Amino acid sequence: MIEINKLTKSFKGKKVVEDVDIYMDEGESIGLLGPNGAGKSTTISMISSLLKPTSGDVKLNGKSTIKNPAEIRRILGVVPQEIALYEELSAHENLKFFGEIYGVKRNVLEQRIQNVLDMVGLKKRQKELVKTFSGGMKRRVNIAAALLHNPEILILDEPTVGIDPQSRSHILETVKKLNRENGTTVLYTSHYMEEVEQLCERVYIMDHGRVVAAGSKEELLSILSSEDTIQINLSDTNDEVVEKIKSIKNIRRVDETKNGIRIISKKGSNILSDLVHAVESEGIHLTNFQMETPSLEDVFLHLTGRTLRD
Amino acid sequence: MLPVFKAQLKKDIRSPWTVILMIVGSMLLTFIFADTDQQSKIDVPIFSSESNKEEVEEKWELLLNNNQGYSFVVTDEKEARAEVEEGDSEAALQLFDNDYQVIAAADSRAVQLLEDYVHTVFTQEAQLRAAAGSENVEATRNEVDVYLENAPLQMQIESIEGGEVPEHNMILQLLFGITLFLSMFTIGFKVNGVTSDKVSGVWDRMILSPTSKTGMYTGHLFYSFFIGFTQIFIVLVLFHYVLDYDLGYHFGMILTVAAVFAISMVSVSMLITGFVKTPEQFNMIYTSVIPIIPIISGVYMPPGLISNPILLFVADLFPLAHAMEALMDIALFDAGWSEITLPLVLMLLIGVISMGVGVNLVERRKD
Repeated sequence: MIEINKLTKSFKGKKVVEDVDIYMDEGESIGLLGPNGAGKSTTISMISSLLKPTSGDVKLNGKSTIKNPAEIRRILGVVPQEIALYEELSAHENLKFFGEIYGVKRNVLEQRIQNVLDMVGLKKRQKELVKTFSGGMKRRVNIAAALLHNPEILILDEPTVGIDPQSRSHILETVKKLNRENGTTVLYTSHYMEEVEQLCERVYIMDHGRVVAAGSKEELLSILSSEDTIQINLSDTNDEVVEKIKSIKNIRRVDETKNGIRIISKKGSNILSDLVHAVESEGIHLTNFQMETPSLEDVFLHLTGRTLRD
Repeated sequence: MLPVFKAQLKKDIRSPWTVILMIVGSMLLTFIFADTDQQSKIDVPIFSSESNKEEVEEKWELLLNNNQGYSFVVTDEKEARAEVEEGDSEAALQLFDNDYQVIAAADSRAVQLLEDYVHTVFTQEAQLRAAAGSENVEATRNEVDVYLENAPLQMQIESIEGGEVPEHNMILQLLFGITLFLSMFTIGFKVNGVTSDKVSGVWDRMILSPTSKTGMYTGHLFYSFFIGFTQIFIVLVLFHYVLDYDLGYHFGMILTVAAVFAISMVSVSMLITGFVKTPEQFNMIYTSVIPIIPIISGVYMPPGLISNPILLFVADLFPLAHAMEALMDIALFDAGWSEITLPLVLMLLIGVISMGVGVNLVERRKD
C-alpha cells in the first residue's frame, strides 16, 4: 500500500532523517519506535506530505506522492503530536469545523461526529469547551478530528504523551479497534515500547534519524536470542564490583539501572557461581537474582547502547 | 474558506471581549480627547490691587476675553499667586488702570505668547484712548467698530469652490483617527490567527484536507477584514446617528474609505506576520509598531504640524495617513469620488504589495 524508499531530510545541511525504508500493507498496524529526537515526527511529516523530503520517495500503490500528494491526503488521517484544536470551541464545534474542511457532506457530518465522539468516549461531553478538558480528553478529541473522513490510513504521532492512564488505555483501545474491526492501516509512533508491543504487528526502530532494526516483534526479539538478560540487586555497590562482574567470562554487557544491575550474558552460560564469588570478594552480598524475558526496550538498548527514554 | 471564517467567528462569539473593548475604547478615547480639545482654552487668573479694583478688573476682563485661546478669570490676588506658585496656572495677570504685570514662575514660551496677546490688547486700548482724546472712549470705540464693518478695504476668504471655508474640526479628526487606530489592533490580532494556527498544528491539519491554501488564507483574512470593518462601522454609526456627530453628507463614502483602509491594514498585518514565528512575537512587534503610526501620521495634531519630510514619507507608507486624508476631505469639504481616488488607490497599492510580500514570506518559512 505505502512504500517509503531511502527517505532523507536535511535541515541546514544536517541530516535528521537518513535513508529510511518502510513499507505498510493494507490493514497492517506498524509501530515506529524511537527516543525523542530520533526523527519519527519528521519521517511521518514526509509520509503525510506535509514536508518535502530532501531525497527519497513515498509511494502509494506504486505512485509517488511527492509531486501529487492529493491522493494520499484523501485517504490519510493524521493525529499530530500537538493538540491541534481550537481550545475556545467545544469538542463538537471543533469536529464540525474539521469535518467541514475535510469536505464531509452536511447530511452525514453530524452522524460521523457522533460516531467518532462515541469511539473516543466523549459523547456526553461534546458541548464542553476543549480548554476545560484534561490533557487526555484533549488528545482523544485530537484523534477524533482525524477520523471524521473515515481515513484508510491513520498516522498517530505520540498520541499518549503526558496523559492519565485512563485516557491512555482508552486511546490504545480505540486504535486497536480501528485497526482490527475497521481494517484501518495504522502507523503508530511512540517512545513507549509497551504501547508499540501491544498495538503493532511490525515495528521499525529509529535512532539518530535512521532505522536501526525492523521486523515483527518476534523477529526483533530474536536479535537477543543468543543472550540472557539478568537483573541483580546487591547489598551495596561500587565501581570495583562492577568491573569485577564485567570481567567474568561470557558476560557481554553490564549496566547500572535504577533497579540494580542489568547483565547481558551469552545464552546458557552458567555465570551464577562466578557472579556470587565476584560480588562477595568485595564484601558485598547478592540480595536478588532474576532472569528477564527480553523486551523491545532491551533490543533498543542492545542496538543503540541507550534506553528509549534517554 | 467558509468553515475557516465560521470557526473564527464562533471563537469571537464565545469570547467577544477584544472587539467590545476596542469599540468601547474608540468611543471613550474620542470623548476624552475631544473633551480635552474643547477645554483647550488656557485659564489665566487676573486681579487688581488698585483702589478701584472692581472697575479695573471688570473693564479688562471684558477686553481681554475677546479671544478664543485664553480665558481670563477674575481671581483673588492671593489665590492667583498661589496658582502660579503651585504650577496650576502658567501665569497670572496683575491689572492696573492702563498697565499690567505678568506674574509667572518661569519665562516659558506659553508666557511669552500670553504677554504678546495682552500687550496687543493694552496697546489697542491705549491707541483708542489717544484717538478719543477728551471725548468719550466708548463712543469712539463704537465709531471705530461701525467704520470697520464697512471699511473701504475688506478681505474675504472663500473656499476653492467659492463657498465658505470650513473650519478644521479637531474632534472629527480625533474620532476618525482613534476609530481607525483601534481597528488596526483588532485587525492585527485576528490576522495573527494564521500564526496561531500554524503553531498549534491546526494549519497542518487544514493543509492535509481538501481545502486549498487560498481558501485557508482567504478565510482568515476575510474574517479579519470583516471584524475590523464591523468595528469601525459600529463606532461611526453610533457617533453619526446616535450621538449626532456631524460626519458630513456622504456617510457611504466614509464607509467605503473605512473598508479600503481595513483591507489595506489586513495586508500590512500579513506583512508583519511574514517576519514572525510565533503569535507572541507578532503581538510584541505589532503592539510596538502600531501606536507610532498615528503619531507620525499626525492624527492627534492639527494639520501641518508635522513637516519633517522623513516622518511624512514613513507615514505615507502606512494606510492610516491616506485614510485620514480621505475621511477628513469627505466630512469637512464634501469631497467627491475623484478627490478621494488618490488616497484610495494608495491604500490599495499598499495592500497589494504588503499582501504579496507577506504571504510569500509566510510560505517560504520552513520552520
